[in-house]
Amino acid sequence: MTKWIRWSGLAGFIAVVAVIAALILLLLPFIIKSGIEFVGTKVAGAKVTLDDADVTLSPLGVRLQGLQVADAREPMRNLVEFDEAMADLELAPLLVGKAISNELSVSNLQFHTERETSGALDMEPKEDEETQGPSLKEKASEALPSVDEVLARETLKTPAAGEALKNSWKVQSERVDSALNAVPDTDALAKYEREIKEITSGRLESLEDFRQRKARLDELKARFKADREAIRQAKEAVTTARSDVSEKLSELRAAPGEDLAYLKDKYQLSGAGVSNLTGLLFGDEAANWAQEALYWYEKIKPYLESDGEEDVSEEEEKAPRLAGRFVHFPTSDPWPDFMIRQARLTGPFDGGQLIIEGRDITHQQTVTGRPTVFTATGADLKKIGDLDGRLTLNHTLGNATDTLTLAISDWSMAPLPLGVAGARLASSQVRLNSKAVVVSGQLNADLDAQVTQAKFTGDGQTVFAKELNSALQGITRFNVDAGATGDLSSPELSFGSDLDKQINSAISKRVRAKQDEFEQKLQSRLNAQLQEYAGDYAEELQQLSRMEGSLDDKLSALKDLASSELEDFKAQQEREAKEKLDAEKAAAEQKARDEAEARKKELRDQAKDKLKNLF
Amino acid sequence: MLSLVARLFKALNSDSAPGQVAFGFALAMIPGFTPFFSLLTVLVLLIACILRINLSAFILGVIAFSVVGYALDPVSANLGEWILTLPGLTETFTSLYQNEWLRISAFNNTVTMGGLVIALALLIPVTLISRILILQYRKRLLSWVNKLKIVQALKASKFWAIYTTFAE
Repeated sequence: MTKWIRWSGLAGFIAVVAVIAALILLLLPFIIKSGIEFVGTKVAGAKVTLDDADVTLSPLGVRLQGLQVADAREPMRNLVEFDEAMADLELAPLLVGKAISNELSVSNLQFHTERETSGALDMEPKEDEETQGPSLKEKASEALPSVDEVLARETLKTPAAGEALKNSWKVQSERVDSALNAVPDTDALAKYEREIKEITSGRLESLEDFRQRKARLDELKARFKADREAIRQAKEAVTTARSDVSEKLSELRAAPGEDLAYLKDKYQLSGAGVSNLTGLLFGDEAANWAQEALYWYEKIKPYLESDGEEDVSEEEEKAPRLAGRFVHFPTSDPWPDFMIRQARLTGPFDGGQLIIEGRDITHQQTVTGRPTVFTATGADLKKIGDLDGRLTLNHTLGNATDTLTLAISDWSMAPLPLGVAGARLASSQVRLNSKAVVVSGQLNADLDAQVTQAKFTGDGQTVFAKELNSALQGITRFNVDAGATGDLSSPELSFGSDLDKQINSAISKRVRAKQDEFEQKLQSRLNAQLQEYAGDYAEELQQLSRMEGSLDDKLSALKDLASSELEDFKAQQEREAKEKLDAEKAAAEQKARDEAEARKKELRDQAKDKLKNLF
Repeated sequence: MLSLVARLFKALNSDSAPGQVAFGFALAMIPGFTPFFSLLTVLVLLIACILRINLSAFILGVIAFSVVGYALDPVSANLGEWILTLPGLTETFTSLYQNEWLRISAFNNTVTMGGLVIALALLIPVTLISRILILQYRKRLLSWVNKLKIVQALKASKFWAIYTTFAE
């Protein structure tokens, strides 16, 4: 037997293995450090630095010190950093290139810490993202300008109508003034009257006298005719002016109403402005939280999705020889390529400690048959009574399901700038329950938060800000329901809350009142503009009406004067003869009547005397 | 490389046990037909060191059988797949799988299993055939080879100097 044994060969083998092991142990820290920094930088998209890496032999493990992972989005901040991480390594799996740790502990884990130097990589700057539209908050603040801003920014009908009236009045008044200059005044009419009286009164002494008077009357009538034409033209000018100015004035008077209707339609202060107030108040904050969660999820997702078969196909492409396939058998101790059976990460959080524990952390859950589970709890937290978070990444089956549940109770939420109208949730107690499930890239998440002891403050100066703050003052508790569904890259967010109802109830009255006030102010300002333009024109219009009446009177007077006629001389003689004959006839008849009366009286007296004598 | 070949020639030409040379060569099939960087290779290397076999024959055999193994891998993979998924052996493999040291031998890899089975199956035949060939070589060809002019020329070369160094 000894003929077949070569002891020196055993010694040589041990020596060679020892040398190789020593070399590996010597180089391993450098390999680990370089590997973590290289792969980490590639994954994080920003600098990953490790102060030191050590390999311990008893127990076999790795100790990492001072890891900083820069945030690609904010290079002057770390996404995460820790002081020290220790992980033991199982020897047997390590010999076949599988890193399996029974326990990983990380101390002083911190998120979003400041960096002394930029963690940005030296690479081509990305093109600017598309300019995003204004946020809901920006829209809200834009939608509620002051009355002055509204009046300054809008092209309204009222000023235009005012200018039109002004111009119309200017043109028409010049025409009326011009026409009125040709119209005889009152003195002229009196003079006409006197002249007419003078011509038509008195007895025509002779035919010559008649002819002279007739000539004067005809000349006067010609002047009447000219004056009547002037008056007619003036009247027409006044009528036209009155009609035009009336029309323009009517348009001006209607303009403020039309402007107000337009402005009310455009600058809604109605309920629609506060219909989704919860989304308005918490939307951006929730979006930030969701974005942060999605950022981390997107980072780990590629590794969760990989499985053994994919690894093999990848190796097949690169390996010079066929790598074959590992057939896994049921075992209580599966060996994926990488696994941390238990991890415990601690770090300062909210004045206490945040404890994150992980179980079966691996990217090959099809090998382990168990999901990766993370839990987060807090110890001695100042502002949070109880924190219970659980993230289950279940990729053991084809239809992967990732579930996040989070329960927080007695959370004295820090002052939360709501970002709308200067409003802040100054203090509150929050009880929160949320659950998010991702299946095949489809997110289904809901959040239920009960907020009590709420105290709002605000120093906004806009109409909406003041009204919102006034409404918020009376609200001490409310519930918030939020949901997110749809594709993970662009989920549909929804918010519901009885805060909406409460605020709507409180604010609607105030908003309505304020809307009325706003409208009144607008109306007042528009009326002021109306008065500015139309103020004196109503009086002017009345004056035009009076002027029209006066012209009518003058025209009538002139007509009367013009109708005066001078009798001809012959007619005057016949009239006088007839008058004389009539007078004589009347005198004769009177004389006959007197004589008959006297005779009648005499007969009556005689009769009376006869009767007296009888008795 | 020249040293290795020279050593092999020395072993073939000397009175070294032909079985040691033949087994060293045949044993090289295991690392040659299976993935090289594995615990199995280390184990075979340990055996090669401990057993009094001809290391030159072993190393040259590893090189030669690796080339053969490259072409043989698809066959090995299919064979390994068939063996590892045999229902009758599932229980056995499952129990073997519970032992971490067996597991690190990567026996559950299809190429490893297939290559190992082929190598083990051929180990004895290849050893015996190699041994016979070595004996026949020494008996019939050695004197004839030494008389060849090309061998004469070789004896005057650097190769011969190395050979004689090991032969002394």
